Amino acid sequence: MTEILIAGERLVLLPERALWWPARATLMVADAHIGKGTAFRALGVPVPAGSSDDTLARLASLLERHAPRRLVFLGDLIHARSARESGLMQRFAALHSADCDWLLVRGNHDAHAGVPPELALTVVDEPWADGPFALCHHPAPQPGRYVLAGHVHPAVRIEAGGDRLRLPCFAFGEAVGLLPAFGQFTGHADQTPTPGLHLYACAGERVLAVPHSSARRRGRA
Amino acid sequence: MTAPPSDPPAPEEPTREDIRRVVASSSLARQLRAARARAKPSGAAPRPRRRAADGVLPEPDKLLSRINALYDARGWQAFAFQRTVWAGLAAGRSGLLHAGTGSGKTLAVWLGALQRAAAHPADGLQVLWITPMRALAADTALTLQHTLRDLDIGWEVGLRTGDTGSAERARQSRRLPQALVTTPESLSLMLSHADARERLAGLAAVVVDEWHELIASKRGVQVQLALARLRGWNAGLPVWGLSATLGNPDHAMQVLCGDGGLRVAGEIERPVKLDSLIPPRIERFPWAGHLGVRLLDAVIAELEASRSTLLFTNTRSQAELWYQALLEARPDWAGLIALHHGSLAREVREWVEAGLKDGRLRAVVCTSSLDLGVDFLPVERVLQLGSPKGVARLMQRAGRSGHAPGRTPHATCVPGHGLELIDAAGARRAVAAGRIEPRTAPEAPVDVLAQHLVTLALAGGFDADALRAEVMGCWSYRALDDATWAWTLDFVTRGGAALQAYPDYRKVERGDDGLYRVERADIARRHRMQIGTITADSAVEVRWAKGGKAGGKAGAAALAGGRLGQVEESFVGRLRPGDCFLFAGRVLELVAVRDMQALVRAGSASRGTVPRWAGGRMPLSTELADEMRHLVALAAGGEYPEPELQALRPLLELQARWSALPGQDERLVERIASREGHHLFIYPFAGRPVHAGLAALLAWRIARRAPATFSLSFNDYGLELLSARPVDWVAEVAAGLLSEDGLNADIEHCLNAAQLARRRFREIARVAGLTFQGYPGQGKSARQLQVSSELLFDVFTRHDPDNLLLQQARQEALCDELDAARIARTLAELRSATLRLTAPPAMTPFAFPLLVARLRERLSTEQLSERVARMVAQLERACDGVRP
Repeated sequence: MTEILIAGERLVLLPERALWWPARATLMVADAHIGKGTAFRALGVPVPAGSSDDTLARLASLLERHAPRRLVFLGDLIHARSARESGLMQRFAALHSADCDWLLVRGNHDAHAGVPPELALTVVDEPWADGPFALCHHPAPQPGRYVLAGHVHPAVRIEAGGDRLRLPCFAFGEAVGLLPAFGQFTGHADQTPTPGLHLYACAGERVLAVPHSSARRRGRA
Repeated sequence: MTAPPSDPPAPEEPTREDIRRVVASSSLARQLRAARARAKPSGAAPRPRRRAADGVLPEPDKLLSRINALYDARGWQAFAFQRTVWAGLAAGRSGLLHAGTGSGKTLAVWLGALQRAAAHPADGLQVLWITPMRALAADTALTLQHTLRDLDIGWEVGLRTGDTGSAERARQSRRLPQALVTTPESLSLMLSHADARERLAGLAAVVVDEWHELIASKRGVQVQLALARLRGWNAGLPVWGLSATLGNPDHAMQVLCGDGGLRVAGEIERPVKLDSLIPPRIERFPWAGHLGVRLLDAVIAELEASRSTLLFTNTRSQAELWYQALLEARPDWAGLIALHHGSLAREVREWVEAGLKDGRLRAVVCTSSLDLGVDFLPVERVLQLGSPKGVARLMQRAGRSGHAPGRTPHATCVPGHGLELIDAAGARRAVAAGRIEPRTAPEAPVDVLAQHLVTLALAGGFDADALRAEVMGCWSYRALDDATWAWTLDFVTRGGAALQAYPDYRKVERGDDGLYRVERADIARRHRMQIGTITADSAVEVRWAKGGKAGGKAGAAALAGGRLGQVEESFVGRLRPGDCFLFAGRVLELVAVRDMQALVRAGSASRGTVPRWAGGRMPLSTELADEMRHLVALAAGGEYPEPELQALRPLLELQARWSALPGQDERLVERIASREGHHLFIYPFAGRPVHAGLAALLAWRIARRAPATFSLSFNDYGLELLSARPVDWVAEVAAGLLSEDGLNADIEHCLNAAQLARRRFREIARVAGLTFQGYPGQGKSARQLQVSSELLFDVFTRHDPDNLLLQQARQEALCDELDAARIARTLAELRSATLRLTAPPAMTPFAFPLLVARLRERLSTEQLSERVARMVAQLERACDGVRP
């Protein structure tokens, strides 16, 4: 478990690609893209089923382990309107319990996909102020608050001893912190650590701080 | 930085005019400008003056007499092979005509097809001409039309490729011309329409041009499938292939024509002159140093001596480097020399081709992008920069020169370093002996079949049993088993195997009448877009950045401006904004990458980072490797038969003195200890990819017995294993180092086959319709379909591991990428050959390039040249010291 201090608050970076804010008993995930496989199949692209249920299973185990009072989705919860297959949405809704509030900060996909009525969700627009943080989907800086956002699907390439890996990561900069995409069936965008940008890679059961030197030095043929 | 100092200061937002001025500062810009000026309405068939197209052919006898008259008027003779083709076509036979370039293949088949059409008068499309390259199609159409004009025949030759404009397409959909020049993709697209049968069933003949380029690829399989469909409508349809000289013409004909084809060899093989630019002094310790342009002065002298020259390189980055080096050495040649490779914008390439045709250009540096195509009459000379890598390739390239009357093709190999002289001599001997590489059609690719099924489901539907029989008529699917057929049918209907049907999925549906059809318009539209996109790698457009301040953090604000060309995504993926690279003959700085576009601006004056493109990675062919080994064996016996070998004699003699030259049935292994550790050098002469695989395999097997760490190095000639402790070669071999047992499993294990399979899956996913590149100018709706093939690969591996497309990816990785069969053969040769195990006193001439190749991985270019220079000096001293 990796802890960092941002804007005076202690945040726990979870290897399941989620963020735990103990002081408020809040669990945050970004870019779950539930039902992406369904949306592809509906459009005639044969993608196997199972990735969304994997994502839901990961969410379920996080909810059980941390028993949050609040679960915040930082945008792009449902991939598309055609992804709202009823069985899947029911399995998703079943994860909800009365002692945990669900909050969705609207992202670009949510605008098109809409919010399934099965889910007891409070939907808000970004930026959603919460303590020292501005909870967002898009990573645009907000005056006076530290932004926690998604949208980018950050990842980092790590190279060591001839071995190369590409891992989803958290990326914390001066004014904006990015969460990795929570969904299993999601792409990634590579980040490079710099003195002002700290990366934490989700590697199996651990979260590793990526030193500036071990990320792949790129573009120097 | 963006504008030359003479320009007025750039305003906040550069206008189009500013951008144009910036572009105008390069010599390539001149190419672009001229290209725009020449731009013609795209796709419309070229129309020389001709009589109105009434679509009527003369009677067969009259046609023949006109043909004879044309021959007489031109002073031509109808060669025997031409008459054979005509007779074959008249009798309704299919066949393959193979001969070198410029031997009249096109005319032979075209006149034969006309005679067949004259004997069987009909309406509508009569002759279908399939060509592998869009660029070639326009010129072919022109050539065919010139012949028609000369024969005073009122036929129209149409053109239908991905470049054909909508007006021309609409015209063709009203009425097809009598002859149509098209590409495999456009033909498949025609087959996806419900009226395909009506329009294509009346053909008199089909011609497949440059069949040798298509046969070994998935596009070739696409052609096989399309031909099967045409034959299904028209059982006796004659199909003729045109091909360059091939190592296995019988196979090429079998794949194209099935049984009973007529194989015709063009009898006039034009004599080809092949020689080498032999450096005045040959280093005894060769390395591909100084970026391989050491023979620049000699090359310039050669360029001065001939009117027009093509300089072929093996990679695009080499082409860029040579172009830069030539311009630096001869600034006065700006505008007279040009660059041509597959990544450049089409209009630039067209300008270069036009310049070659009318003789304006003195020299063009190019890659395999000019291997094919129309003949450029003024080209007198071909220079091959670096090893030719293959016999057929060198012949093909040589054939691009010497088309003017009284000239012969002349190709000269320019070695990148001394040892490449062996490649050149070997290639010449192989040409003389007629040992040309074979090309084999792929075995039953599932992705192409899946695409074909959807294509035919679009065209009014298919009956499963009838289609299976039709598909099995194709060579590549001759042994299509029940399981694969059933899986593929399930894949396009249910998504996966029957037991694992994907929910909510519909693509092809079985109607009540038992026919399989595509009902949904959005799927039909996407599939038609997809057919035309069988390309090698996904490409990123290189465009000028527009807007944003020069020198500042322009990335965020920059817009996309004029187009420069395209590069592989994998190459751009390794660059960061601010990095400079050489492209299109100039130094560019990357500003941003967005929406599959790399935005660039002019880089600073210093030399840019040299790009390493995946494009153009060429393995050494088996035929050439065998020839090279044979030459070394001759030298081992004291024979130096070719001028190249004469020149290399000091190097080879030193190799023999310090170590050995392996004889025909010998394999050389050298052990050398240095400050770095213990080196083991092995020289199978089997080409770089095989050596790369072999090196990893040997290291892995040795380390399995006793843990050890190795540094690996490899080139076309051999490989090196470097370790802290010495390797006891004899003991390792006794313990099964070269054993065949578990070979494939070991190869998969140690060579990261999974990673390679993941890479192969990219193309497979696109062909099978899993990934979608999007419409030009698409709206938001298609974005939710954007997915990387890597991600799909992971999802399939996890949730549908038995998917046949995954198996195909693994199979392609093992066979095509790793060339497991050749690794096995090389291993077997190492087992059976006599071992020459030597312990040289210092790095030998064979070992030295391997050593440098390994250092290159670790050091910057500057450090490397210094260090190599020091090492060469040491070795030369050692060498002189040993001398008696």
